[in-house]
Amino acid sequence: MAHPAVQFVDVSVSRGGRGVLHGVSLSVAAGQTLALVGRSGSGKTTLLRLVNRLLDPDRGEVLVDGLSTRAWNAVELRRRTGYVIQDAGLFPHVTVAGNIATVPRLLEWPAARVEARVDELLTLVDLDPAVFRGRWPDELSGGQRQRAGLARALAADPPLLLMDEPFGALDPITKGELHVEFQRVQQTLHRAIILVTHDMAEACLLADQIAVLHEGELIACETPANVLASHDSRVTSLFGKLRLKPEATQQATPRGRE
Amino acid sequence: MTELLAFIASHRAEMATRLGEHVVLVAASTAIAAAIGIPLGVLAARRPSLSRPIVGFANLAQTIPSLALFGFLIPLPFIGGIGTRTALVALTVYAVLPILRATITGLQGVPPAVVECAVAMGLTPRQVLRQVEWPLALPAIVSGLRVAVVIGVGTATIASAIGAGGLGDYIFRGLAMVDATVILAGALPAALLALAADAALAAAGQLADPRRRSRRHVVVLIVVTILAVTTLVSGRATSGRADLIVGSKNFTEQVVLGELMAQAIERQAGLTVERRLNLGGTAIAHEALLSGGIDVYAEYTGTSLTAIFKQPPSADSEQVFATVRDRYASVGLTLLPRLGFNNTFAIMVRGEDARRLGMKTVSDLAGQLRLKPEATPQATRQAAPKATAAWRAGFGYEFLERPDGFKGLNAAYGLAFGGAPRVMDLNLIYRAVAAGEIDVTAGDATSGLIGALGLAVLEDDQHYFPVYDAAPVARASTMLQYPAAAAALRSLAGRVSAADMRQMNFAVDGEKQDPAVVVRTFLDRIGGF
Repeated sequence: MAHPAVQFVDVSVSRGGRGVLHGVSLSVAAGQTLALVGRSGSGKTTLLRLVNRLLDPDRGEVLVDGLSTRAWNAVELRRRTGYVIQDAGLFPHVTVAGNIATVPRLLEWPAARVEARVDELLTLVDLDPAVFRGRWPDELSGGQRQRAGLARALAADPPLLLMDEPFGALDPITKGELHVEFQRVQQTLHRAIILVTHDMAEACLLADQIAVLHEGELIACETPANVLASHDSRVTSLFGKLRLKPEATQQATPRGRE
Repeated sequence: MTELLAFIASHRAEMATRLGEHVVLVAASTAIAAAIGIPLGVLAARRPSLSRPIVGFANLAQTIPSLALFGFLIPLPFIGGIGTRTALVALTVYAVLPILRATITGLQGVPPAVVECAVAMGLTPRQVLRQVEWPLALPAIVSGLRVAVVIGVGTATIASAIGAGGLGDYIFRGLAMVDATVILAGALPAALLALAADAALAAAGQLADPRRRSRRHVVVLIVVTILAVTTLVSGRATSGRADLIVGSKNFTEQVVLGELMAQAIERQAGLTVERRLNLGGTAIAHEALLSGGIDVYAEYTGTSLTAIFKQPPSADSEQVFATVRDRYASVGLTLLPRLGFNNTFAIMVRGEDARRLGMKTVSDLAGQLRLKPEATPQATRQAAPKATAAWRAGFGYEFLERPDGFKGLNAAYGLAFGGAPRVMDLNLIYRAVAAGEIDVTAGDATSGLIGALGLAVLEDDQHYFPVYDAAPVARASTMLQYPAAAAALRSLAGRVSAADMRQMNFAVDGEKQDPAVVVRTFLDRIGGF
């Protein structure tokens, strides 16, 4: 791979005269999962939204596949970037199958290929196509919605996946199931993933790299083990509890190194 | 109820036409309002800074009373004038607000997360609107359309006042005739139409909702649409293409005269005539004539002189006719020969008093008032044998106040009444005279109650009251185009006496007969048509 999947180069953003991000530089390789962590208002979501041009940086630039997002056609860039948010953001007036088929249809795939893809994805996220194709979003449980949202984001086989607290609204058991699902999918598909979360255990569990944001500044970008070993008080305050539980660290040993 | 059914049965064809007109008015105005309101709503939802002025303006338009709005629109070029076009403009103005509001509400109700996802998935702004925001806002928009349609069906009844037809014709006609059956004949179908339109749109809304799409609703919608279209087509077909249009103002005598001219033209000239009766007043009828909304209506020379041409009133019949005819000619209208009666104020007494005392004129009455006790009116003698020569007068409030009313009358004839005249409701004066509560009054010379209650009209021998001779006013161009119609109207000259007019007014107001039937009987009787 010549270029990292995503590269932030000295990115600054201010909203309403107030700095939200200050000179953040960071990169994510293909096949890698990066977790963005930090307190509320630390700029995690802003950083994520720069990638698919929901926002443009005021200074610096974001390179996707080596090309500045400003040079990308926003619509094209978005269609090759999966996007999952908390509670999935499914279209309430469209069936599960219709939701998943949205981007393939925009890309004008042949109908048969779209249908096959929907079934394939439903199976991938462990929803029985026979049962769930025709369901409406409000007929799904929170976990099922999140699975459908993940399937929709993956529909057009995007090389890059952005996830903004995708498991934030779920109960612990469902969340645990979906973590397993996520790892399985990532092992199968090997995408570049940026995951915003405020759940530190989740970050340690799922990510190869954890980027810690504090008041708009990147204060650490390390492997989970290194982040947990940090002595920076701004980092330790976030991970305090986890540091006392070595088994969490153990569990969080990055896959792919095994 | 049976009266209503009988009325509906005897007016089936006309009713279908009116219903058709009503449906067209509401459907067209709602469609135009949707074409304006929905894009404006989208704009307002997108740009909150524009939302306030847009909604404010629509709100303001909504607060204008409907009759006032029609009044404002009549003198305007292009959108104004009289008839369907103006009605459409006014109805559209009223329909825009609910649709606009519903569109804004609907779009603002779309969850922001859903829109963000749509954008993030690579939908273009247009695709976001069409595939996500529009379907999610649609239920709200449909409910706005339903509100607009229900308001429209109600407001469209008022459109009758400016000659746009519709079911309001019956309501205004019924109000003029004080006939609840006729009012109901307009109001009840209008209410049913509102319910049906609301139900049809509700069904359409369900149809648009992918979640509840069902065959039943499709069937309901198709049935309703077919019904509406059938009514419409049959309505249009009945109204056909008329050669000319006869109008009238909105009171019984005017409706009768409109019908009289229409039937005279139909019978003598063999032309097809459309009736736009019950226009909302002198100004509206005149505007209608000028703009070609109607081709002819009956006006009173005194009304033309004072109300249209702003001249002081006059009692000289010939001079008023000549003046008004010249004024009309200068604006392209033709004043045809007078029909024969003068609808002015009339001084009236009980018929038996007039006969017993040999009174024919107001001067005779003035003479009686100066006479001895034996000349007292009969009722007074019976009720109060010892009373002095006390003729008691009672007048409507307006007659007492206006300069050409009681004061001028008193100055002209020197009427010495016993005491100040009583002030009475105009509708009660005739019965008050008949019942002997008062002895003299001033009323409408062609009121149907004069004959029915046995009252006698005393001739205004000093020519005190201004003349209000009835005469057809027509568009000169129409008269040139259809000389036969002009001839038919001319042959009505002098054929309608005040007594004839009273009798026809009474047949409609008092006996609740259909004006068309009354006029047919009259024309058969006088012959020549």
